Amino acid sequence: MANVERYEAPESLPELTQILAEGPATMFAGGTDVVPQMRVGARPVRPTLININRLADLRGISESNGVVRIGGLTSVADILDCAFLKQVASVVVQAADCFASGQVRNAATLGGNICNASPAGDMIIPLLVLDAEVELASWRNACVARRRMPLCDFFTGPGKTCIEDAEVLAAVQFPVPKPHTVGRFRKFGTRPALDIAVVSVGLAGVKENGCFKDARVAFGAVAPTPIRGRNTEAALVHVELDGDRISDIAQVAEQEVSPISDVRASAWYRTHLIRELMERMLHEVHQTRD
Amino acid sequence: MTALIEKETLIGKRVPKLDAPKKVTGAAQYIHDIELPGMLVGKIRRSERVHARIVRIDTTEAKALPGVHAVLTAADTPGVGLGHGKDNPPLKGDKVRCERDEIAAVAAETEDIAEQALKLIRVEYEDLPAVFSPAEALEDGAPIIHEQHPKNIPFTYDYHHGDVAQGEAESDVVIEDNYRLHFVTHCCMGVSGAIAQFDSEGNLTVHSQTQVPFLYKKEIAPVIAVPPEKIRVIQPVIGGAFGSKLDIYPFEPICIFLARATRRPVRVLFTREEEFLASPTRQPVELVLRSGVKSDGTLTFRNCRTLHDNGGYTSWGATTPFVIMQTISSLYRVPHCQYHTTVVYTNNPYSGSFRGFGNLQATFAVESHMDKLAEAVGMDPLAFRMHNAQQPEETTPQGMVFHTCGLSECLSITTEKSGFLAKHDANRETQAAPTRTGSAVKRGIGMASLLHVGGGAKIYRSDGCGTILKVDDHAHVTVITGSTEIGQGSETVIAQLVGEELGLPVSAITVINSDTEITPWDVGVHASRTTFIAGNSARGAARKARDKLLIAAGEKLKVDPETLDLRKGLVVRSDSGESLLELGKLIRSLHFARKAEVVMTSDYYEPPSVMQDSEFKGDVSASYAFGTQVVELEVDTGTGVIRILKVTSAHDVGKVINALSIEGQIEGGVVMGMGYAIAEHLIVKDGRMKNPSFRDYKLVTAPEIPVVDMHFIETNDPEGPVGAKGVGEAPAICTAAAIVNALYNATGVRFCELPLTPEIVLRGLKQCGGHCP
Ligand SMILES: Cc1cc2nc3c(=O)[nH]c(=O)nc-3n(C[C@H](O)[C@H](O)[C@H](O)COP(=O)(O)OP(=O)(O)OC[C@H]3O[C@@H](n4cnc5c(N)ncnc54)[C@H](O)[C@@H]3O)c2cc1C
Repeated sequence: MANVERYEAPESLPELTQILAEGPATMFAGGTDVVPQMRVGARPVRPTLININRLADLRGISESNGVVRIGGLTSVADILDCAFLKQVASVVVQAADCFASGQVRNAATLGGNICNASPAGDMIIPLLVLDAEVELASWRNACVARRRMPLCDFFTGPGKTCIEDAEVLAAVQFPVPKPHTVGRFRKFGTRPALDIAVVSVGLAGVKENGCFKDARVAFGAVAPTPIRGRNTEAALVHVELDGDRISDIAQVAEQEVSPISDVRASAWYRTHLIRELMERMLHEVHQTRD
Repeated sequence: MTALIEKETLIGKRVPKLDAPKKVTGAAQYIHDIELPGMLVGKIRRSERVHARIVRIDTTEAKALPGVHAVLTAADTPGVGLGHGKDNPPLKGDKVRCERDEIAAVAAETEDIAEQALKLIRVEYEDLPAVFSPAEALEDGAPIIHEQHPKNIPFTYDYHHGDVAQGEAESDVVIEDNYRLHFVTHCCMGVSGAIAQFDSEGNLTVHSQTQVPFLYKKEIAPVIAVPPEKIRVIQPVIGGAFGSKLDIYPFEPICIFLARATRRPVRVLFTREEEFLASPTRQPVELVLRSGVKSDGTLTFRNCRTLHDNGGYTSWGATTPFVIMQTISSLYRVPHCQYHTTVVYTNNPYSGSFRGFGNLQATFAVESHMDKLAEAVGMDPLAFRMHNAQQPEETTPQGMVFHTCGLSECLSITTEKSGFLAKHDANRETQAAPTRTGSAVKRGIGMASLLHVGGGAKIYRSDGCGTILKVDDHAHVTVITGSTEIGQGSETVIAQLVGEELGLPVSAITVINSDTEITPWDVGVHASRTTFIAGNSARGAARKARDKLLIAAGEKLKVDPETLDLRKGLVVRSDSGESLLELGKLIRSLHFARKAEVVMTSDYYEPPSVMQDSEFKGDVSASYAFGTQVVELEVDTGTGVIRILKVTSAHDVGKVINALSIEGQIEGGVVMGMGYAIAEHLIVKDGRMKNPSFRDYKLVTAPEIPVVDMHFIETNDPEGPVGAKGVGEAPAICTAAAIVNALYNATGVRFCELPLTPEIVLRGLKQCGGHCP
């Protein structure tokens, strides 16, 4: 990190976005991705380094007008401890519970997880199934400008997103899930702690009388970005679940993904796991009363 | 009125490790923490190729970088080879043979400058055809790795006793299997490093993490062209070794070359990635085992052939056949035995010594076969093993004399405490039961035993250790031992043994063990020998001091020394416990006497073992350790995930000296054995490590650690210190074998390869081959 020429630690969004407008900079929040990546040279070192941790406005979880808003700097630990989220959108909390270890959760932020854009990013999957949007802020015409886009359109490749150099992820928001929403997140790692997902599966939908009225499914680590499982969703809605149906739906999920082989698993194993996790998740959901 | 002093023993007590407080508070000085004035940073440029001729190395630009003090290549060094095969020059000049190869080194003011300089070194290579498996390397016309070994075979080993053909003829059942054991590495929490410094007279001080300081001096001397008597080795606190620091690897002489070139102290310190790339690994082995049994359950023969992937150079991994053949020949009674190993050069990483030293690999195969043979003759795994287990005072055909042998006790207590037989039968019932998603979990129980040296191993002419002991004027004892503390707890055990003789608490004892200028000779820390050998030596010195003190006290008190004892820092009457004299006072009176004297003794302990003869026969250790572990596990047949629930272990430890540290040793060993079996895997493809980080090299983490129910079989070894045997390596040895047997018990599928990572298990259960990463 010898090439860093300037260090900034802004305390407000206008301050931060103005610095970003001045030219290429590297932001860090928890630093749990960016620091290891810079150390091994996996990320080019830009001349300006910005510590964004002091922007208190970007931290916190709130709800208004039926919309849940989670600030970009909210830590994974804060999400895990949030009683409100546990109640209305437990799938996000389930993901936080599978995330890394206590120490890393204290530092790691939601914005960092999303902007790092790993296909295996754990917090992304539950937000995809909650139909989340990201809010991106930048400095335009002498004030902070904000734009929103659906999270499912945000990712363009491993480590790549639609965010522009001068933008910061200010928040993520999603509609308060409707009554009777069921949400599940399952991560498969080869060990119970401190593991990167070999695959992960998320599911959310309104379930009434043993039947999903709507459903969103997402998969992690099976494609260059986290993806929605549109075919699986279609197979799942308005279907009365039973053993055979569940196995059919799991098969749709299996056919929908086309993972790669790497040091963590082969494509064959990942595909098998998607089916296995989907099947288990649906059995479990099926057995739980609406 | 004088107080009456009871005799108190330190043996078997739960004594916290003496070095624990400084380790947990961060006060311990590791190699990272030592700062010498003017010290430079040394860094190593490694090969990007696995097999290539070095055409040219251009260091001009690197040398010109401000802040760089030296850039060295092979041309600047004597080029003498290191390691067991002396085939590994610290810096490679003609060609590179594996991914880690060292080709240049830099000493600079800062780490950043050193790293920049490395990048400025230009290397031109000419690629050579490479070879990545022993079988390929043995083919005619295979690429030659070392010119002096045109067949790529640096070593072979052959051993036999009896006549396997006869054994086979007597057998009712004969089985044969191929086993494949993988690459793993030590993962010491403290990365490797060294600091070298020359004084103005050319004397060299090395701060080295070596676990064999005296052999180190002798072996490094010709490589660096400094005579051994001019070398002083100081060991910092060592952050884990497990065998990895038994050999000398190129970074140490390189550090010394840099210090000589710059006339400044230089430190070389690995990054974690380098620690993976450039540390030794556990020896990967391809092993074919053929065994036979009579229908009454008597073993008839074992015939074993192995191929050892030696990688690019020869370190201690090449010598693991010494230990492997012991288990093949002598774990249970084997009337006829034949053993062969071919060690083969490849362009893979090379292996060193690693806790168990080949025995995890051998035991995996032997104990898998024990289960298979038992099943073939319709015996339960326990009865079959009991039937073939040796008894005390038996001598094995390889010449090992088991003066004590707790194998049968280990077998019976572990199976009894775990309810082995009932569970084993019950699990078999459910093996074939269909599994439905959601209830895909099956349970298994499996057992395995081990045999390992427990009283040193005479692989050098001496297997001894020296001690110097002095008692000061306040009855504080300094024990100067040749042996090294590498975290195994030797300081504490030595203090206990000395305290026991001198009637002093461990707080009255300081152990000095880290400076060859001060300490007497020792072979080093290996072969589970330190408690046994260094312990006996410390005890010998303490006894001499005790005799001297009692005689002096007898003279002063005008009583027969035979009637006196040392307790709680006092001289007492041994029958009544009546306190007669303070120990400190006695010593001061010796110092101030007309014929003044100090209480200072020394001892050199040499175990009554012998070196093996040319046929690898002989009683190589003064004592042998035995143990049995029963593993209970769950396997998820839908994902292949194994969860180890419980390990019931019994070890013949001779005698428990420190209950706390022996429990730690066993738990640590079980976890290491378990990591070997189900989690750890250094993935090497085409000679390159694919996962040199803790992200992708999976160590066992805390939530995975099972309950370990420990039992200690005290056989009171007549030669061991207070009856103890070495157990440093033993607990890691048979865990993997017990796990694979338990997996069979759960599923009916027999695995002959490690690691049993989820994907490999699932493929095995689905009986589909294919490649895992
Ligand atoms: C030991 C360990 C274990 C881990 N385990 C897991 C795990 O189980 N699951 C998982 O998903 N991840 C895991 N990670 C990865 C990492 O912790 C997460 O991705 C984390 O959420 C990143 O957040 P951060 O705040 O640390 O990001 P940083 O490292 O600070 O930043 C990451 C990237 O996002 C950018 N960025 C950060 N915040 C913003 C923002 N508000 N706006 C715009 N850009 C921003 C940075 O510039 C950088 O490019 C682990 C990492 C480590 C070191």
